Amino acid sequence: MKKIFQLFVSVFVFVSVFAFVSCDKIEEDNYIVYAGAAGKWYDGSGVADKSQRAIIEKYTGVRCVNCPTADEAIGVAVGQYGDKLIAVAIHDSSNFTKPIGDTPRLSTPDGETMSQFFGVRDAGQYPAALVNRASTSTGWDLFTPTEGINSHVDNILSNNATVAVAVDSAVINNNSVDITVNIEFLQPVSDELSLTLMLIEDSLVVTQRLHDGSDNENYVHNHVLRDVITDVWGADIDCTGAAGEKRVALFQYKPESSEWNLRRCHIVAFVSVKNSKQILNVADCHVR
Amino acid sequence: MNKRISLLGVALMLCGIIPSAAQGILGGHVTGNIQFDGQISHRDTIIGADDVPKKLLSNIRTDILYTNGDFSAGLRYEGYLGPMLGFRPDYEGQGIANYFVSYRTQNFAVTAGHFYEQFGNGMTLRAYEDRYLGIDNALRGINIMYRPFNGVILKGVIGQQRYFWETTGLVRGIDGEVNVNSLVESWKDAKTQLTLGASFVSKYEDNDEIISSGIDGYKLNLPQNVGATAVRMDLSSGGFGLQAEYAHKGQDPNDLNDYIYREGDVLWMSASYSKKGMSANIQAKRVDNMGFRSHRTEKYKEMLFINYTPAISKQHTYAFLSMYPYATQSTGEMGLQGDFMYKFKKETLLGGKYGTDVHINTSLITGLDTTRIGGRGTNGYTSDFFSTGDLYYGDLSVEIAKKLSSKLKLAATYGYVVFNPIIEGHEGDLHHNNVVVADLTWKINKKNSIRFEAEWMGSDSKYDATVDDKRCGDWIMGLVEYNLTSAWFVSLSDQYAYNDGIGNYYNLSVGYTKGATRLQLGYGKQREGIICIGGVCRNVPASNGLTFSLTTSF
Repeated sequence: MKKIFQLFVSVFVFVSVFAFVSCDKIEEDNYIVYAGAAGKWYDGSGVADKSQRAIIEKYTGVRCVNCPTADEAIGVAVGQYGDKLIAVAIHDSSNFTKPIGDTPRLSTPDGETMSQFFGVRDAGQYPAALVNRASTSTGWDLFTPTEGINSHVDNILSNNATVAVAVDSAVINNNSVDITVNIEFLQPVSDELSLTLMLIEDSLVVTQRLHDGSDNENYVHNHVLRDVITDVWGADIDCTGAAGEKRVALFQYKPESSEWNLRRCHIVAFVSVKNSKQILNVADCHVR
Repeated sequence: MNKRISLLGVALMLCGIIPSAAQGILGGHVTGNIQFDGQISHRDTIIGADDVPKKLLSNIRTDILYTNGDFSAGLRYEGYLGPMLGFRPDYEGQGIANYFVSYRTQNFAVTAGHFYEQFGNGMTLRAYEDRYLGIDNALRGINIMYRPFNGVILKGVIGQQRYFWETTGLVRGIDGEVNVNSLVESWKDAKTQLTLGASFVSKYEDNDEIISSGIDGYKLNLPQNVGATAVRMDLSSGGFGLQAEYAHKGQDPNDLNDYIYREGDVLWMSASYSKKGMSANIQAKRVDNMGFRSHRTEKYKEMLFINYTPAISKQHTYAFLSMYPYATQSTGEMGLQGDFMYKFKKETLLGGKYGTDVHINTSLITGLDTTRIGGRGTNGYTSDFFSTGDLYYGDLSVEIAKKLSSKLKLAATYGYVVFNPIIEGHEGDLHHNNVVVADLTWKINKKNSIRFEAEWMGSDSKYDATVDDKRCGDWIMGLVEYNLTSAWFVSLSDQYAYNDGIGNYYNLSVGYTKGATRLQLGYGKQREGIICIGGVCRNVPASNGLTFSLTTSF
């Protein structure tokens, strides 16, 4: 019995050492990746999933007592639409985003820029949301995402996609992330287009004020915007916009903060009209 | 070059110790050997031998080993000034190619520096050297062996592989072996003994930019850590033996498999039975994409292998039977081998006065039956485990050895070989060869003996200048070898393609041995071909000239 115990201990020590050097596994979708210059567009191979998707950008804050209700409603919608709806939680620099106690601040400069541009800061009403940055004749189609999310999303999804988008991989390569984005024009587009990449993180436990005024120290924040990888209004897409055109680009991104847990992050990629900011289509993928 | 200078420093340091140690000042003792092989070859347009600009080619090596109790240290000087024909030109140069220090007790051993190691049958790791093949994939690093108690051996290695005059790659491995009987007191002396083992080996290499086929601007997303795992067993009971090993390798796109992502595996099994005067063995093997090398882009097909799959065909010794040696196809093969030896006893009908030995061996090796999925950047192919592909190689040899009288011994061999040139990378028809060998040794007296060897090979292959395979055609060969005491020998041989072939290869050799020193001189022609040892092969270019070899040990 003593021998068997010694054997197990010895084997355990050996195996433990090698647990750190096990082999890599590449998923079949990622056997081939982009090799060109970062940010440069090349002819691509197309996008397999050509469906239209929607993105809901929710402006929120840890001191916004109605925001947990919006989180719940958005969670229900994401569950309902599946991968057709992508959510982003944006913390600007309003008073609603000041940390409660000794907790990290989730605000980002890019979030503040967007909040000001879309009039969220001026309106001062949180939570507020945009779906695909849609506008009405009177301005941005901001709404309170505690209800009525479906009608905004359905408006987007009822259209045929003009551009298909895919984030084919987001692979951690040493200390940076390689992100490959494919786009395919399904209909001709004459506008100048931009590609925006966002890093969002799930499962952040940060104190949140609730509707009854109490603070929940174990509140889990999802879809939190950490960084806009491209310029906040996106990077130019080098394309003609002709139907059938396929383009691909690789972006190499080095996260600005070591506190962000890349294993819990997504990359969100969307194509928007450069002048109107209207989002034509969007995709996301996990960082691995 | 700097590395070689630093190695030279180590050498000088050890050399400083060794003379003192040899005189007993530090205790311990020094052993070593020296080998000097030289070659002079001239242009010969008939056999395809080129002129050698350096005129004299030489491979030199000296091993020096110092041992003192449980401690040992050694180094090896190698010089390739220029490398002999058939050796890679990258060997050109000289220096200390191998050095190590080692401490070894019964239950613990550690080696730092260069070392050779093998896990099981080598399917996950075999760091070894074969000087005749020009292969030395020693690891430079640390090798630890620990025996926690009797019957259990654990090993761990980490190091870089030797690559000519450099070290490269990164290999890590562990291996454990347990004699199950030793775990239970009452099983220790059981007739049936079982040993189990397992190993895991991982390599690391940086990303290479391997461009994908098809679309501009794309490259392969390559795994940087590739692992191989193996489990094995060895069961014996009386005269019966059963051994098996299975190894699996993770995704490893490389030059050998044209950068596909299919995972690899190999299964090897051997069953044997032996008793006095008789033995039988059958082996089976299936290899699927199991080439495992330190560098995925390595250009030389025999270099930087981390693993090894056992050969499953006999390594023939007679010239015509070994003219088409089989090289293990690490990308995929299936094979069966049967081997049977029987000794007819003295004073029986077939045994006669002195007994008769019969040795029958046959092997059959095919490719895998695969269905292509795609090229590089895909999983490559699918393959049914039990289904076979094209025939690669088959052979049958029957050898009967009989002592005719107190002074005459005859060995007669019939062999049949079928060979697919695709395994050497050439398209073409199968070669079917029949070989007959007669090998007669006449022991004239206590100090003198003479050996006659006659061989004939009939083949359906014909020499074609566009393919230029100089092995084709029908051949005859004669050899006479005279041994005077155990010191001198003289050998004269000639191989001649008398039909559908090309070439007349004569050789004269003289050898002298005294104590631990041996000198051999040879003059003649060497046919271009391939030599294989254990299924690992290298090309041998044609040569015409003088070869000499001096070896000694101390």
